[in-house]
Amino acid sequence: MKKIVAKNIKKSFDDLEVLKGIDLEVGEGEVVAIIGPSGGGKSTLLRCLNKLETIDGGRIVIEGETLAETTPDGEVQYSPDASRIACKMGMVFQQFNLFPHMTVLQNLMEAPVRVQHRPAGDVRREALALLRKVGLEDKQDQYPRRLSGGQQQRVAIARALCNKPDIMLFDEPTSSLDPELTGEVLKTMRNLAEDHMTMVVVTHEMGFAREVATRVLFMCDGVVQEQGTPEEVFGHPKNERLRSFLQSILK
Amino acid sequence: MDYVISILPQMLQGTMDTLRLFFITIVLSIPLGIVLAFARVSGFGWLRKIVAAYVYVLRGTPLMLQLLFVYFGLPFLPYIGMRLDDFPAAVLAFVLNYAAYFCEIFRAGIQAIPKGQYEAAKTLGMNYLQTMRRIILPQVIKIILPPISNETITLVKDTSLIYILAMNDLLRTTRNLVQRDFNIMPFLVAGVFYLIMTLILTAGFNRLEKHYAKWD
Repeated sequence: MKKIVAKNIKKSFDDLEVLKGIDLEVGEGEVVAIIGPSGGGKSTLLRCLNKLETIDGGRIVIEGETLAETTPDGEVQYSPDASRIACKMGMVFQQFNLFPHMTVLQNLMEAPVRVQHRPAGDVRREALALLRKVGLEDKQDQYPRRLSGGQQQRVAIARALCNKPDIMLFDEPTSSLDPELTGEVLKTMRNLAEDHMTMVVVTHEMGFAREVATRVLFMCDGVVQEQGTPEEVFGHPKNERLRSFLQSILK
Repeated sequence: MDYVISILPQMLQGTMDTLRLFFITIVLSIPLGIVLAFARVSGFGWLRKIVAAYVYVLRGTPLMLQLLFVYFGLPFLPYIGMRLDDFPAAVLAFVLNYAAYFCEIFRAGIQAIPKGQYEAAKTLGMNYLQTMRRIILPQVIKIILPPISNETITLVKDTSLIYILAMNDLLRTTRNLVQRDFNIMPFLVAGVFYLIMTLILTAGFNRLEKHYAKWD
């Protein structure tokens, strides 16, 4: 079963059509990188998948459960269970969005304990194991503002994972980091991919897309212009927009 | 000195009335202010407008006028008209007035929280109430502590307005003593009393601000 099936997704902000009928399928264990120029709709697509934005048309199915679909009369209808379905996806934001008034460990434990009602002792153990995995077990009692950007983002990844999602969405996770800090975050994401987590990553890190992604989508002007393996997209780009995009990045 | 000691019991009695009005006003107007603030940022346009108008009127007219209106004017209102005793009338006027100020403070605090905090909470599955209680409000409280502290200190001094309703608060007691004894000493003692109340409040708020500074 596909983890994500999105068909003909449409989204406008006022008069601006940001997504003009996007199709996206993600299989289990796939790492899909979405690349493209700013304003091309990449982040909006990601945010539509977990209902941070509502769609104007199309259909989204997560692990066989319909999150939203267009009814025959043209209205988009969300499942009454939409929140639960959307929570199968963990999300990592460009700005980290850690809770500043909670320690690192409290950030990780909040939702599993209060929302999922898992026993606090178990959650604590799992949270500490996750912090070890992202290399921050010594920071468990720190407040987020005391951490570097790279550390904050790794905490954010651990927090999303602590909720036990089946899919991870990354919205430009390294874009607000200093160059020397992106490496540690990308390494964490690489480890996650090696553990066969299903991932959709909006990124400007072409190196990461090339090495880690199983598939690369090039989005521009609200349309998927081209997609394929990293080898196809980066090695033999067919689309004219993609070629000029890659050229401008390599300069 | 003997004179000061001799007037202390009466002045303390007046202080009790002042403190009673102060605490009741705080306890009632802060929750009311929070509720109004949420209405002020809610998705209902008509509700936002009603609260905005309420805030405008209550902040735009003198508290003294509101006090006189509740005490002397309320009985003449058709249907809801009723006569309140002086203390309930004072409480009503103070609560309505301070709730308007607190509403604006809370509104600014709520709107200062970045959108990303709501989004993070949402992607973690938290509902509206959980998000507000666990994520947003603790951060709002930190932001609003300084303006709340200001407002609270103002309230201590504003309580003296009930003087106009002939209630024996600290200020009126003081004036009575001055007139009775032809001695201005009670004025100085009253000033010290107000300063002590303000000092205690300032110290309390400083501790709270320190507590909330630990995550900076």
